[in-house]
Amino acid sequence: MSTAVRTTEEIAARVKALEALMIEKGVMTTEAVDRLADIYENEVGPQLGAGVVAKAWTDPEFKARLLQNATEACAGLGIGGLQGEDMVVVENTDTVHNVITCTLCSCYPWPVLGLPPNWYKGPAYRSRIVREPRKVLSEDFGLDVPDSVEVRVWDSSSEMRYWVLPQRPAGTEGLDEKALAALVNRDSMIGTGAPKAA
Amino acid sequence: MAFRQDTTELSEARRRIEILVGDLPRPGVGGAAADRSFEHPWELRAFAMAVAAYHNGQYEWSEFQLSLIESIRKWESDGGGEPWSYYEHWLDALETVLAGNGALSDTALDDRTRAVLSTPKSANHHEAHREPVAIDPAR
Repeated sequence: MSTAVRTTEEIAARVKALEALMIEKGVMTTEAVDRLADIYENEVGPQLGAGVVAKAWTDPEFKARLLQNATEACAGLGIGGLQGEDMVVVENTDTVHNVITCTLCSCYPWPVLGLPPNWYKGPAYRSRIVREPRKVLSEDFGLDVPDSVEVRVWDSSSEMRYWVLPQRPAGTEGLDEKALAALVNRDSMIGTGAPKAA
Repeated sequence: MAFRQDTTELSEARRRIEILVGDLPRPGVGGAAADRSFEHPWELRAFAMAVAAYHNGQYEWSEFQLSLIESIRKWESDGGGEPWSYYEHWLDALETVLAGNGALSDTALDDRTRAVLSTPKSANHHEAHREPVAIDPAR
């Protein structure tokens, strides 16, 4: 169907036409589309994943469960849903740094991270992070992984979606879960960034 | 319409977990625009429509994903000539799965798209309305 380059106006019109046809067919309602758009734009986001990370940092028993079965552990916190059915959390350590991608399209754990940023979905990141991960992390994201640390790139698919449990920043011993969660940003759970320093 | 369980779960998750102090991540590849999830309003609309049609039981989510992968794969094997637009592939995938199960015909969509394009944005607003549009008379 992508036979010609379409203008933004043409595509917007096509989306509008599709919605009108599907409403007439009873496949969806305007209210349902509005509500879903609102949920995914405003309600689901990396703050949910940040809460999970902070809990794992403070509760060893929860962390063990999260690494064993992330989908179940998150469901226990009321976090789950579409594109979160088969999640695997990979843990960063002193010797291993993890980063996620989806080489085929844009599989991403929506319920914990929200929707992926545009660069995650783009061909450049998807191909380069596999070929030269250390270089991409350094040049595109300013994240220098020491040579002594192994970099592992995980390819998410519709069958299994990865996300990263970053290392707890030094000097945060006195912080509670809420304060810790505020240090966790989206990129630290993708593996293209580090949590904020305390 | 009734959402499946997961939409309710998401809403509850939001309620239960406080909105934590958001930390805008660094721009990453390509600056602020690249860091957003949506660049144009139609992208969010197309996104939500795919989820809505899935909730309506029109297809399995895996069918949609395979269609999306196929659209992107085709773009890549054609040399990536057009400018990259992730949500054009998303829309392409949505049209493909809806056409595949008979919910949508290409011709109908093309016709309706032309109708939308030929309707001026201000179809009902191109004349000044110089009188009150309604009056509730004094009693």
